[in-house]
Amino acid sequence: MSNNKRNPDSILNVLGKTVYIDDVPETSGMLHAGIVVSPSAHGRFAGLDFSKALERYPDIQFFTAKDIPGQNELSTSEPDEPLFADGIWHYQGEILALILGPSRSVARKAAALVSIIGREDMPAILDPRAAYEKGMFIPSPRTIVSGDTEAAFKNCDLVISGRADSLGQEHVYLETQGAIAMPGDDGGVRLLSGTQSPSGVQAIVARVLGVPMHRVEVEARRLGGAFGGKEDQASGWAALAALGAVKTGRPVKLYLNRRDDMIATGKRHPYSSDYKIGLKKDGTILAFEAVYYQNSGASADLSPAVIPRTLFHAAGTYEIPNIKVSGYMCRTNFVPFTAFRGFGGPQGFFVIESALDKAAAALGMDRAELQKKNLIKEGHKTHYGMSFKDVRAALCFDACIKQSDYKKLRAEINAFNLSHKAQKRGAALIPVCFGISFTKIMLNQGGALVHVYNDGSVSVATGAIEMGQGVGRKIAKISAMALGSSLDAIRIDCTRTSTVANTVATAASTGTDINGMAAQMACTEINKRLKSLAAEKLATVPEKIIMENGSVFVMDGEAKKETGLSFARLVGMAYESRTDLSAHAFYATPGLYYDIKTERGNPFLYHVYGAALVTATVDTIRGTYRFDQAFMTHDLAKSIDETIDLGQVEGAFAQGLGWACLEELKFDQNGRLLANTLSTYKVPDANFMPDMHIEFLRKPNPLAVANSKAVGEPPLIYGLAGYFAVMDALKAARPGEEGFYDLPMTPEKAMLFLSGELPGDVAR
Amino acid sequence: MIRNIKFRLNGKDQNLELREEALVLDWLRNIAGLKGTKEGCREGDCGACLALLGGQAPDGSMEWRSVTTCTLAMGELENRHLVTIEGLASAGLTPVMEAMLDEGASQCGFCSPGFVLALTGYLVSGAKMDPVEAMLAVEGNLCRCTGYGSIRRAAKRLAEDFSDLPFGLKERFSVLADRKVLPKALADSMADSKADMPGGSVHKSGQTASMQNGSIVLGGGTDYFVQNPDPEPGLAPSFSDQDPASRRIKEKVLGGKTWICLGRAVTESDFFASNIIKKALPGMERYEVLVASPPIRNRATLAGNIVNASPIADMSAMLIALGAELEISSKDASRSLPIENIFLGYKKLDLKPGEYINEIRFPADWSRFAFEKVSKREHLDIATVNVAIAVKMGADGCIAEVRCSAGGVAAIPLRLKNAEALLTGAKPSLDLAKKLGAVYAESGSPMSDVRGSSVYRKRLLERLAWAACIRLWPELKLEEEIMA
Repeated sequence: MSNNKRNPDSILNVLGKTVYIDDVPETSGMLHAGIVVSPSAHGRFAGLDFSKALERYPDIQFFTAKDIPGQNELSTSEPDEPLFADGIWHYQGEILALILGPSRSVARKAAALVSIIGREDMPAILDPRAAYEKGMFIPSPRTIVSGDTEAAFKNCDLVISGRADSLGQEHVYLETQGAIAMPGDDGGVRLLSGTQSPSGVQAIVARVLGVPMHRVEVEARRLGGAFGGKEDQASGWAALAALGAVKTGRPVKLYLNRRDDMIATGKRHPYSSDYKIGLKKDGTILAFEAVYYQNSGASADLSPAVIPRTLFHAAGTYEIPNIKVSGYMCRTNFVPFTAFRGFGGPQGFFVIESALDKAAAALGMDRAELQKKNLIKEGHKTHYGMSFKDVRAALCFDACIKQSDYKKLRAEINAFNLSHKAQKRGAALIPVCFGISFTKIMLNQGGALVHVYNDGSVSVATGAIEMGQGVGRKIAKISAMALGSSLDAIRIDCTRTSTVANTVATAASTGTDINGMAAQMACTEINKRLKSLAAEKLATVPEKIIMENGSVFVMDGEAKKETGLSFARLVGMAYESRTDLSAHAFYATPGLYYDIKTERGNPFLYHVYGAALVTATVDTIRGTYRFDQAFMTHDLAKSIDETIDLGQVEGAFAQGLGWACLEELKFDQNGRLLANTLSTYKVPDANFMPDMHIEFLRKPNPLAVANSKAVGEPPLIYGLAGYFAVMDALKAARPGEEGFYDLPMTPEKAMLFLSGELPGDVAR
Repeated sequence: MIRNIKFRLNGKDQNLELREEALVLDWLRNIAGLKGTKEGCREGDCGACLALLGGQAPDGSMEWRSVTTCTLAMGELENRHLVTIEGLASAGLTPVMEAMLDEGASQCGFCSPGFVLALTGYLVSGAKMDPVEAMLAVEGNLCRCTGYGSIRRAAKRLAEDFSDLPFGLKERFSVLADRKVLPKALADSMADSKADMPGGSVHKSGQTASMQNGSIVLGGGTDYFVQNPDPEPGLAPSFSDQDPASRRIKEKVLGGKTWICLGRAVTESDFFASNIIKKALPGMERYEVLVASPPIRNRATLAGNIVNASPIADMSAMLIALGAELEISSKDASRSLPIENIFLGYKKLDLKPGEYINEIRFPADWSRFAFEKVSKREHLDIATVNVAIAVKMGADGCIAEVRCSAGGVAAIPLRLKNAEALLTGAKPSLDLAKKLGAVYAESGSPMSDVRGSSVYRKRLLERLAWAACIRLWPELKLEEEIMA
C-alpha cells in the first residue's frame, strides 16, 4: 500500500492533485477580482473614473477606500499601511480599487480601463541614505554597543572602512498570492488564504470589516511556496476578497497574475551599509562598526523585526570583542519590503564578509585563514549579551575545509590562474551562525489540537503552514512517535483559526520547533491516557506499557513483549470507556528575553552553524561566470527527516546564490519596477546551479523537538560564498585591484570590473 | 473565433465548439476542469503549465514535444493530441513520479506536474538517455524550492533506469507502457499515427487561404501570447504550422547556387535538429541551448522570431549573418527581401497587411559560422547583446566573403557592413580580431535598460566580436593571446 518513506503531500504534488487556491472548485455565483494599482512611486489623486470600464463591462462592481466598513489599515506595527490608497499613494503598486466581475478575465480587463482623476506625481525618495538625511525613519532606530570600538581601533594594526550594498529579492513563490472569501450569514466571512499566518489574516480582516475576530475564519491548506512573502503580505489580498464577499454577499476569488504580484507585493529589503573593521597584524579582529541603512519601503510592515536580526548577525560567525552597530529603517517610496528567508540576517552577513574580504586583501592573508582565526568559540558572549553554548562553528568550518580539500583546491586554482588568461577561477568560504527564534519574543508561541478518532486514525492540527518545507511531514513523524501510532494513522489537518487560535506565522525557521513541540505535548497527553487504560486492561502499570508504531507492548523486566493489542483497538476501548481522545497543547519557547533599552538579552533558543565553500570560473572575455562546485557542512543535529532537510539546505543555498549572483531587482530612476516578470527577473535554473556536496553534522540538539535543529533559513547565507568566489576570480584577473561589494554580482558588473569601467558609485 | 475543433486529449477524442484563440491553459483549467496544469508566469518562462503535444512531423511520422500551454492557442490543437498530468496520473504513480518522490524533488509542488511532464517527454522523445540530456529536457522548468539537487538525482536515476529504451516509436511506447511510465491505453493512443486522429487528414489549402485573407498569422505564439495574455474573443488567427510541410527544411539550387530553404513554420527545435543544417553549418547545434528553452523552441518559429521584430532576437541575428532572404507572400503576389531590409525601425517591419513570410532561405556554402550571446542567466534568457558572423574562406586563407550582425544595440537587429568591409579579403589574425572588436564597439547606439547599461553593451559588442573570432578560427588559438 503506501510507502512509508514517501511524503503523502508530495505524492499529491507529483500526481498533479494538490489543490492550491486557484484549484479549489468554484462555487456558483462566485465573483472574481481585478485590482487597480498606483502607476508611480508617489502621487496624489482626486478620484477614479470607472465609466469606461462600466461602459465596456456593465456588470462589474468596484470598491475603494470609502467602502471599508472598519479600518483602512493593514499594519501590524505602525499605522502606516492603508489597504486602499486614499487620495495619495506612496509606492508603485499600491491598491487604488477592487473590481469584481463574473470572470477573472473581465475583472482584469475592466481594471485596466479605470483611469485616475487628477493624478499628480510627487517627488519620490528611493535612496535609503537620502531618506536618512531627511530623517524619514520608521521608528525606532536601533544601536547595539559592546566594548569600546573607538579605543580598540587605536590598538589595531589595520583599520579599514568601506561600503557594502545589497539589492532586494523577489520571492517568486510559484503560486502567486490569492484568497477566496465566502460571506457568512452573520456579517462575517470564511476565507481560504494563501498565507503563512492565518491568525494574522484573521486579525487584519476583522479590523478592515469592523467585526470581532470570531466572525472571521481563515484556513490555509498548503502554499505553492512562500519564503516569507506570504507572512504579512498575504493579509491585504485576503482583506480585499473579504470586503468583496461581505459587500456583495457572494463568494469572491482574488488571485494575482505574476506581474501584479511582482509589482504589488513586498520583497527582501535592499540595504546600503558603511562599516569599519580593525584587526591585529595576525588577523585577529578587535573591533567592528557598521551602520545599516535599511531600505524599508513605504510602510513599516515587518521592518522593525527585520532590523534587529541584521544587528544580531552583524558579526557573522566571528568573535569580535568591540562592536557598535546601528540600524535605520529608512522610509522610501517603494513597496513595503518584508520578510524573506533569512530576515535581514543575510544582509548583515554580507557586510561583515565584505569587510573581511577587504581586510584579507590588505593583510595579504587567505580569506579562509582569516575567517578560521576569528571563528566563534564556546562561551563567547555576543554583543547583545547572549552566551554561545554548544558552539559548532569550527567543527563545521574544518569539516568543510576537509571535504573540499581546500588546500589542494587553492593550489590548483592558483596554478590554473597563472597559466590561463581567458578564464580565471576563484573560491570562497562562508561560515554561518544563525540564531533560532523569532526576534520579536511574543511570537515564540504555538498550539496544537490533536484528535484521535475512534477507529485509530489521528488528526493533528497546529499553527504550522505547509509551504513545501515539509513541516507537515515532520510533525506527523513527531506525533506518531509521541502517540505510539503508525505514521500512516496521522493526518495533518489544514491550518485553521477555529481549530488552533492565536497562532503565529510559520516563519523564522521555527515551524517545526514550535508547532512540533506543541503537537508532541498534545500527543504525549493522549498517549498517557491510553497507557493508563492499557495498563488497566493488561493488569500492569502504565510505566511498563510501550506504544510504538501502532502496537502496544509491555515490559517484562528488560524484555519488550507483544500484547497483541493494536493502537486502533486500544483507541476503540478508550472510546467505549469514555476516555477523552482529544488534547490541546501550548508551547512557548522557554528562556527568551530581551531588553530593548539596554539591547541585551537572550533572543535565541540556540544557534545553527555551518560552512560552505563555492568555486567559480570567470570567462574574462565575455565577463560571464559559472559556479563549479559547492561544498556545505551543515549543522543539522538529529534530523527528523533527512530527505526534507537536504532539500531545505539545497533550496536555501540556491535562493542565496540567486540573491547574491543572479537576481537583479531593478527599479527605474522613478522607482518603478523594471524586473517585473520572469522574463526580466531571472531566478536560478538548473543550469545555473553548481554540483552540490552536502554533509551533515549530526550532533543532537537537546534544546529542540526530537533533538533536531531548525533548517529553513541558515543555509541561504551559504549563497554569499558564490559572490566572493566570483570576486576572487575577478581579482585574479586584475591583481592588485580593489574588490567591490555591490550585491548581486552580475555579468555586467563582472565585465565592467574586468574592463575597468565599473561606475564610480559602486560600493567598495 | 468560435469554431469546431477536433483533437485528442489524454487519449480521448474531442469534437468541440470552442474559441480557437483561447489559451490551452485557460481551457484546461476553467472549462475542462483539469487543474493539474498550473499557471506560474503566463509567459512561457517557468514551465508550470507544461503539456506534451503530439502531432504529425514534416516527414509524416508522429512526434511528441513539450509545450507551454500558456502560449498555445486552442486552434493549435486541431488534429493533434495533448497529454496533461491528468493523463499521466490516470493509473497512479509512474516511475517518473516515483523518482521525484524518492529523491525529494517535490517541495511546494506547484512546479511538480511540469517537471513530471518534461521528464516523461524526455523518455518519450527518443533522445539519448543520460543524466545531462535529461536535465536539458527540464531547462524550461523553474523550481524555487529545491535548488535542483533532488531533481538532478531523479533525472539521473531515470536516465539510468531507462538506458535501454528502444528508439522505434511503437517499441518505445510499448516499453513505456509495460514499465508504467504511461498508462497502457494512453501509450497506445500516443503511439497512433495521425491517420487515426480525429478529423483525419490535415487541411492544407484552407489554411493558406485564410492566411491570405489578412487575418493575423501566428507562428508558435510564444511571443504573441506574452504580449496578449488574454486574447479578445473573436480573434481568428491563422496558424502557420497546420500544414506539416510548412515545417520542412530543404536544399534548393537557385541560380547555380545551393540554398537552404526553411518553411514558414520551421521551429527553432526543427532548425537545430535538422541534418541539412548540421551538414551545412557544423557545430550549429551547440548554440541551441543558448536560445530560449526546449518547450519554447518546440513552438517558436524562425519566421515568428523575425516578424516579432525584437532587436535582440537570436534567430534574426543568426539569419542576418547567414545572408538570409525572405520570401514574402500575400494573396496575389510574392516578393523577396534580404532579411535585414525587413526591419524598418523599433517593432516596425516592411510587411503590409496580408503579407506573411512564406520561406526563409540562405546560401549553403558558408565555411564557418559563430554565434555569441550574453544574457543575465546563461540559459532560458533573453540576450543583452548577441553577435553572429558567417565567413567563406578563400583558398589563400583570406576571408573571401563575410556577413556580420549584432543584436541588442539598436532599435533593430543590425547587419554590420563596416565590420564586413574590414574582414573581407583580410587574413584572420589576432590583430584583425582586435580591430573587429573596435568596429563592433562603435556600432549601433546601445541603450540602458533592465538587461544592461549602454556602457556594458558597448563593451560586450567588442568582446563578443573577439569571442566570435576565437570560435571562427580555433586553429589560431586566439583565446589566451587576446587577453594578454
